[in-house]
Amino acid sequence: MRNSSLLILSALGGLFLLQAQNKQLLYDFQEIPQSLMLNPGMQTPYDWHAGIPFLSGFSFQAGTSGISVNDIFANDGLDINDKVRQRAINGLSIRDEISGVYQIEVLYGGFRGRNNPENYFSFGIYNEGVGINYWPSDLAVLAFDGNAGQLNRRFDLSHLKTRGELLNVFHFGWNRNWSRDLTVGARAKIYSGILNFHSSTNDGYFVTTPGVNNILASTLVSNMQLRTSGLQSIKDVLDDDSIDNTSGISSIFTKRGFFGGDLGMGLDLGFTYQISSSTYVMGSLLDLGLMYHSGDIRNFTLEGGATIEGVELILPDALEDPNADFWQDLVDQIEAFIPFEENTNNYVTFRPTKFYGAIRHNFGEDGPSGEWCDCNYLTNSKDSNLTYKNSVGGQIYAINRPRGPQVAVTAFYQRRFGNALALRGSYTVDKFTYTNIGLAASFQAGPVNFYLMADNLLGYQNLAASHYASFQFGINIISWHVN
Amino acid sequence: MKIFSKIFLSVLLALNLMACSDEQDFNQIDDLNIIPTAEASLLFVEIPEEFINESGVPDFYTQTFNFGAFEEQFFAENVLDGVISYEVENTTSKPLDVTIEFLDAGGNVLDTERFTIDEAPTAVLLREITYGTPTGRDINIITSTSAIRLTGVNLGDNTSVSGIPEPVVLLRSSAMFRIRLK
Repeated sequence: MRNSSLLILSALGGLFLLQAQNKQLLYDFQEIPQSLMLNPGMQTPYDWHAGIPFLSGFSFQAGTSGISVNDIFANDGLDINDKVRQRAINGLSIRDEISGVYQIEVLYGGFRGRNNPENYFSFGIYNEGVGINYWPSDLAVLAFDGNAGQLNRRFDLSHLKTRGELLNVFHFGWNRNWSRDLTVGARAKIYSGILNFHSSTNDGYFVTTPGVNNILASTLVSNMQLRTSGLQSIKDVLDDDSIDNTSGISSIFTKRGFFGGDLGMGLDLGFTYQISSSTYVMGSLLDLGLMYHSGDIRNFTLEGGATIEGVELILPDALEDPNADFWQDLVDQIEAFIPFEENTNNYVTFRPTKFYGAIRHNFGEDGPSGEWCDCNYLTNSKDSNLTYKNSVGGQIYAINRPRGPQVAVTAFYQRRFGNALALRGSYTVDKFTYTNIGLAASFQAGPVNFYLMADNLLGYQNLAASHYASFQFGINIISWHVN
Repeated sequence: MKIFSKIFLSVLLALNLMACSDEQDFNQIDDLNIIPTAEASLLFVEIPEEFINESGVPDFYTQTFNFGAFEEQFFAENVLDGVISYEVENTTSKPLDVTIEFLDAGGNVLDTERFTIDEAPTAVLLREITYGTPTGRDINIITSTSAIRLTGVNLGDNTSVSGIPEPVVLLRSSAMFRIRLK
């Protein structure tokens, strides 16, 4: 039991070590087919593409805001208790978070329509793990200091906000070059949830006040809930010594990840609009969708309110029942007013919707003329769009989070070297860091495309002190659309 | 182009290979102490003067009752030290003895606190008893307590009535303990 609990906690903790979902280096990087996943309305210069299964797209992002590993664990001779108190308990706010995401593409491909080559279709499956945990400030103070000497201070239970999930996403996208200056796209998604936990709508408080009868009154008003899906079956496997943990959990993941667990639907939308011969604006909304959690549900609630002033004996009433158990009566009374309950009610969660907006300006022609012409979609191919040596632009990114949207702003410069190499550098500002410099490279060797991206490179000077790091790579086979 | 790409790759490779970090000591986590101090009311007793007079005997009240707060497993295993505060207020017309005894599961007396208070008007009697500190009483008294016995003894008469409205003897108490979570 103890081991299984630790394993589950470790798994969930692993999610928390992953971070943010901004892929600013990849966005509108047309040489890389995975950029189509960020904007289904991107200009597509491919005839077809095929990702190498499990290797076509891997991304891993990790970070924290407000505190770093180095802040706590640096071998600096300081007392860890002082560091935790100064930098975490007193240093973090409820807006600080540990959160993240990883994504592994299982399958990814795309092809241009034969009869309608202005259409480009893409499809695939990817596995994603997402987790976010906000710093529960008041609860941390309560845990470290307790309520002594905190008369009339309300410890806010809404500070507990956390959610996480593992899921497989099956998707099919349609991209259409609508006119010479407009490309639109949409992607339908089916979510197959493997596990989910969700506790982000908590409310209430705990407060100690001067008592009416006794010295102190302790009041708890709680409207808290933790909803989980898919965790109980994993716990059962871990608790069952007759089942091999690895194969048992793999079996659960496989079953639940392929439509045997929670199901949901979502939609991505995007466009690219050419506002001049070499300037484009683009935008996309990703994961407009929801999940219906209906299998292996286990929810916990703590709802109600009570004020207690200890065991109360008021004579002569207290002598009426010689067998009275005042302590148990008090416990029963509290449990009646604030019941801790479990249920298996199905529930719905909304996917963390993401928004990207960007502008790109190309300059420095390299190859055939890229002049803005009154021509059709056929000219919006690799020949015309990818002939510029340089691109500069800016992006804005926002994601819906339990404490409101998180925003990041990016500026980038991209340099192409013929058909073989494209490089991009970016500078991003977000809540995690103001010094996020990233580099990306896309290599093309014949039909083989390999890309590599790394973020917040300045953080590599002292990784432990970094608040954010990310890494992406993948291999694809691409047939370029040539006219 | 070759030079540029070589530079880029070299930079990327160097950043990954030469990424460095200040020395970390994750064993520090063993030294982390999480020891909150929890505070709450413990016991409230209210005895009207009328009840004392009607009893007709000096030992007007004794009652033993279960008190499981201290023997809750988590508390008993992790409490370090603490203080129990008492307030005894007497607005009756007679001097009183109020005794509180902590009993273990076998009914043995682990600790006794006796309050002798004059008849009204008199000041509220305040007392703090420390457990678990070098100068305090043994913390095991607390962790072994499973019942409390209260005794009230009238040191005066059974007929007088206080001039104060609704005369009572009140025992208020609260506990403040440090508990090691880690």
